[in-house]
Amino acid sequence: MGLKAPAKAAALITKGILRVMGRGATTMPGKVAIKLCPDIISKCARGQKIITITGTNGKTTTTHMITSMLRTLGYEVITNVSGANLASGIATTFLCEKPSKGADPDKIVYVLETDEAAFARIAGDLQPKVCLVTNLFRDQLDRYGELTHTRDLIANGIDKTSAKIVLNADDSLVASMGKTRSERATYFGINLKTMIENNTLHPNNTILEASSDAAFCPECKVRYKYNARSFGHLGDYVCPACGFSTPSKRFELTYDASGNPSDEGFPFTVTDTDNGKVCDMNLKIAGSHNLYNTCAAVSAVTRFLESEYGSEGEKTIFEQVCQAQDNVEAAFGRMEKIAVGNKYICILLVKNPVGLDRSLSFVAQSSDADSLMLVLNSNTADGKDVSWIWDVDFESKVNDLPANIYVSGQRYGDMMLRVSYSGRTVDGYGTLEYATTLLKGALKDCPDGKCIYILPNYTAMLDLRGRLVKELKLKEFWKE
Amino acid sequence: MEKLIIGHFYPDLLNLYGDRGNVLALMRRATLRGIEVEVKRISIGDDVKNGDIDIGFIGGGQDSEQNIMADDMKNVKGEVIKQMIEDGVVFLTVCGGYQMLGQYYEEHGGNRIECLGALPHYTKGEKERFINDCIYEIELNGQKIKVAGFENHSGRTFLGEGEKPFMKVIKGHGNNGQDGTEGVVYKNTFGTYSHGSLLPKNPVITDMLLELALKRKYGEDYVLSELSTEAEDLARKQVLEYIEGGVKAAQ
Repeated sequence: MGLKAPAKAAALITKGILRVMGRGATTMPGKVAIKLCPDIISKCARGQKIITITGTNGKTTTTHMITSMLRTLGYEVITNVSGANLASGIATTFLCEKPSKGADPDKIVYVLETDEAAFARIAGDLQPKVCLVTNLFRDQLDRYGELTHTRDLIANGIDKTSAKIVLNADDSLVASMGKTRSERATYFGINLKTMIENNTLHPNNTILEASSDAAFCPECKVRYKYNARSFGHLGDYVCPACGFSTPSKRFELTYDASGNPSDEGFPFTVTDTDNGKVCDMNLKIAGSHNLYNTCAAVSAVTRFLESEYGSEGEKTIFEQVCQAQDNVEAAFGRMEKIAVGNKYICILLVKNPVGLDRSLSFVAQSSDADSLMLVLNSNTADGKDVSWIWDVDFESKVNDLPANIYVSGQRYGDMMLRVSYSGRTVDGYGTLEYATTLLKGALKDCPDGKCIYILPNYTAMLDLRGRLVKELKLKEFWKE
Repeated sequence: MEKLIIGHFYPDLLNLYGDRGNVLALMRRATLRGIEVEVKRISIGDDVKNGDIDIGFIGGGQDSEQNIMADDMKNVKGEVIKQMIEDGVVFLTVCGGYQMLGQYYEEHGGNRIECLGALPHYTKGEKERFINDCIYEIELNGQKIKVAGFENHSGRTFLGEGEKPFMKVIKGHGNNGQDGTEGVVYKNTFGTYSHGSLLPKNPVITDMLLELALKRKYGEDYVLSELSTEAEDLARKQVLEYIEGGVKAAQ
């Protein structure tokens, strides 16, 4: 099979042509290469050290954290560009991203964000050392439909590998994948006492409770009983019929529930319950959901290093990983604040109900929030159905949201009505053509040091980025 | 002070396509008029009797969760729901909830799932799924009004004797993609394939349901007070323009 070389050449030529044309080249070269050599991914992946990150929410952030931590620990990391997480994007990463000259081949790691359905198809080709599954929330329904189906896709992928699997214990769907794979599963999650304290201190006040995903055990069709909840369907659960419950976690995150995880640097600890070691840490990317992402990244990197070194040096691996977490920095679209004069804008990508719910909570708790802008598109990549915005519990957060609320995007009418039905009026609205005008107005009225939080869905974010560069003269800050 | 009790059926199972928005819309347009609203969550393990609720709402869910609900609906709450429908309790049912009220659902592979049988319509599953923004037309008090919605279903529903379509399809597929009908009306029970959510952007339907329920409870003379539809109209207008292609598709 001598097709790898021509396929690689074709990919590089494609990349060159796209670059000359001024187009992004994050997936097309891989597409061309797969056409020429269908097993290109398995050929490239052979003998490589690979970590995959899959799940509906937090993939990009967690991939970013793992990449940063491994680099701090002396690894040469190759990773895919955010969003290029299908087979084509992963093939492109293999063919077009090169380790730096003189890099120790033993220290090269591929950290690959992988779409859930793509994972099922290419996991066998990749043969990763570690597979991390962050969570499974309802996503674009016109794409996959059933959450249990998505879980089964991922499980099929896992079964084509001998990888260590790192699973979110607090997510019943994710954790259930470890039931028949216990010898290679490691669980992470939030400490039960922390969760209970959090529930007591912050009871949910809403006029109409939003139902969580996965309320019922898919096997027994019986409602889970929860001892505590973190958010969505994440929590400490037990099925009264089969007894399946939150597995005991090896990596457990604890924090002071009276504090505010929307603050950058929020303190917490992660405990390795295998040996009782406790590491004090600070949240590098703010937001309560990033507590999970951080814990996931620490767990995956620790498991990876353990598989690298075996028992040798194992004693200090966890501490080293926790230290490495201190160098993680925010990346664009992931809580990074961009200075515009003495004011800031911060873009948080939201693509599904739980993502919007978390981001609204984050903004509601942010002490520097001056304005909120919600931007809703309905292109194929976003999901054409926007009705999910009604599943998000705006009602419980609305009084804590900033004084000014703006809406934009192809479906600004839907979003405007969503805000107004929660009891707030919007201060400005219009299509994306009008978005920067709205933003300029908001920036003008924004006090120094305060921030305008923008929550777009996927294509709305892409569109908005271009406009911020062209119309607000911001540099192309998102290039990683 | 008038009071309405909304029974939200299986909210923890049928919660997929923003149908919570329909309950929020009923709550909002009632409370703004000074009508007290109570929402009862009626799921597996909860009791409901005829007379407990003024408006019933049943949404749609994932197949696996609809199956969990279907058993309970047929075996536990079925007779009560049938009685309520016959007695003229106001019901809005969407997608899976609408299908469930009918006779049966024949899956694409031929497997036949018995439904509640409260109404004569039946549904056949096809491979191709209808996933579209939709525009329908509803005739209310002699006026034809455009309704904005979204459909996502692989079932084709055919109405039976005594059932009238709820709306006419202008854009989209409606009940089955063949006869131009959308949804069903039987007494005070309405079925539709339209998500969106349906009610927030289409306040004439919200108000119609509220008025039906209030007249039933407080007498035929009851008149629903005027309430602005400014925000709703603005949203509907923008979305209709978008669906009709009047808005430049950015990206």
